[in-house]
Amino acid sequence: MGQAAFIRTWKRGAAQDLDTGSHVGLPLRDLGFRAGRGAGAIAARNALTHSRTLLVKNRMTRDPVAVPADATLGVALRLMREHRVRHLPVVEGGEVVGMLSDRDLRLAMPSPLGMESAEDVAAAEGTPVADVMARGAITAGPFDTVEDAAVRMRRHRVGSLPVVDATGALLGILTETDILQAFVEILTASGPSSRLEISLSDRPGELARAMRVIGEELMINVNSVMVTGRDAEGRKTAVVHLGTIDPREAIAALERTGARVGWPSLENDLRRMEGA
Amino acid sequence: MSAVRTALVWDPAVTAYRFRPDHPFNPKRLDLSVSLMEAMGLLEAEHVGIVPPRRATDEELLRVHTPEYVRAVRRFSEPGARAIEGWPWGLGTDDTPLFPGMHDVTALVTGATLRAAELVMSGEYTRSFNIAGGLHHAHRDRGSGFCVYSDLAAAIAWIREAHGARVMYIDYDAHHGDGVQGIFYDDPEVLTLSIHESGRYLFPGTGFVDELGEGEGYGYSLNVPLEPFTEDDSWIGLYERLLPDIADAFRPDVIVLQNGCDGHTYDPLTHLRATTRLYEETVRITCEVADRHCGGRVVATGGGGYAVWTAVPRAWTLVWAALSGQRAPDVIPHAWNDRWQGESPDLLPERLRDPAGLFPPVPRRAEIEATNRRTVESLRRQALPLLRGWGLGF
Repeated sequence: MGQAAFIRTWKRGAAQDLDTGSHVGLPLRDLGFRAGRGAGAIAARNALTHSRTLLVKNRMTRDPVAVPADATLGVALRLMREHRVRHLPVVEGGEVVGMLSDRDLRLAMPSPLGMESAEDVAAAEGTPVADVMARGAITAGPFDTVEDAAVRMRRHRVGSLPVVDATGALLGILTETDILQAFVEILTASGPSSRLEISLSDRPGELARAMRVIGEELMINVNSVMVTGRDAEGRKTAVVHLGTIDPREAIAALERTGARVGWPSLENDLRRMEGA
Repeated sequence: MSAVRTALVWDPAVTAYRFRPDHPFNPKRLDLSVSLMEAMGLLEAEHVGIVPPRRATDEELLRVHTPEYVRAVRRFSEPGARAIEGWPWGLGTDDTPLFPGMHDVTALVTGATLRAAELVMSGEYTRSFNIAGGLHHAHRDRGSGFCVYSDLAAAIAWIREAHGARVMYIDYDAHHGDGVQGIFYDDPEVLTLSIHESGRYLFPGTGFVDELGEGEGYGYSLNVPLEPFTEDDSWIGLYERLLPDIADAFRPDVIVLQNGCDGHTYDPLTHLRATTRLYEETVRITCEVADRHCGGRVVATGGGGYAVWTAVPRAWTLVWAALSGQRAPDVIPHAWNDRWQGESPDLLPERLRDPAGLFPPVPRRAEIEATNRRTVESLRRQALPLLRGWGLGF
């Protein structure tokens, strides 16, 4: 995914109204969380008063649109279109019994585009959701971590998880978009930044030393930090966004400690490239 | 070369915008620039004037900043203010440290750009230049990247309020003009165009093609993120082709031009490869568009530029010459070098313009040019229909 798409997603995500959990669809006005007014300011306020930690309950859409198991596909299709969603939890007797995706729906139609012909309409109005849904949904609990939920979605190749309480009642829905949003928040800085990569050996104190140089010696704010998994040589890479227009001092200080640093990345360091 | 009435808004007092002695945003570059203009005989003509700045009023600052932020800047201007208290406002940081008198001198810098705008909007002058201005990273309620108040936004907001004129803001500083873009993000009467090294590589990490504005202002924020190592031909060429089309669609009444010169090859903070030709050519192209659309009106400012001794004075002298329609000779008088060489860590240049062939061509040139062309194509495809109203069913 390109950087531009990242930024777009980031901004849209930052304007999510966290009180209701619904996407209000307003782009963030000023970049970064200390926005002046408008949607950005609302997002900033919400970000301060609501937990954004990586628990499913903090990342899901609450009170999602759901469909009864005995409703027709026509009802389901209208719900998806009206609410602009691609996944509907299917409920019966107060419990989640399945999931219906827009793909399930399309595949159930006689024509490939769906609802284009009279034949499609008849099929949609005559088929109950229960006949087409994926039965026995893969679910998440509200206190599951987002990383667990993401792994489960990958393992079962599903695009969303209904979030249920101990009785199986529907609390919310977590979709790929929510996971991507969490990922974007981790990957991108929450404000104007310079990006660096620092190569670390996988042992205690490596990351701490780099952060101490940046944060304590130079008093530069670390807007975000992410550490990748081990590479073939057993080293990790810290991707850091520093709140400075001039990262030269930080790079020099890190390199004095023996660290290998890339600006903006180890494999694409502009200081070494000279356009070659 | 025509004699267009042009004002340099200048008083040495603006050099007090100074964070600390070793800070890269070094006001020495202002003294160097004005003294070079003077040495080259570019401040003497009948049609040019040197006009002192004034302080921006609170009302002028509050058009674009929150009252809380202006109060905070005032508080942090007192001796003994603690850096840590400035952090929520983006001040007291390594980039934008607190310094005594910060409010007063930034209000003076902001007032200088307002003065530059007044001189042009009143018709007294056709063009004006405040080299101390151009603080394009300042946000509505937050300082950032060496910028405390947004002199640019204050001047644009004043032009909007006092004259109702449509403003085209053009920013070719190597860094994205995020502050100005953010403040006018939903305003269809202010078009912002920023050309900069891609945020993928450089602070502030924004300024991508798909940041197009919001609400009523959708389509009125334009960004050209350039590849690192972009050279003159690609940069000037894309600007010369793009600007007239944007101006024809937007029909501005006045142009505000931010001339940050940190895209020069010598600049230590960025990875662009411009020469002095970029500055002459950009101003020439901009003035041609201004002549066609806005009765010639251009309000110009400085901006970034960290090759303080070797690039900035020459770039801004060339900006001034082009704005004021004067032919600048190429040889820098020895007196200027003699006056400053003792202080300079670098050998001062003897020519105003970088000679052709001074810098070896960038090896990846063709690829860089192709990427820049694709970027501009993508911007044209997305933005021009919006600007022309085609996207709205008119």
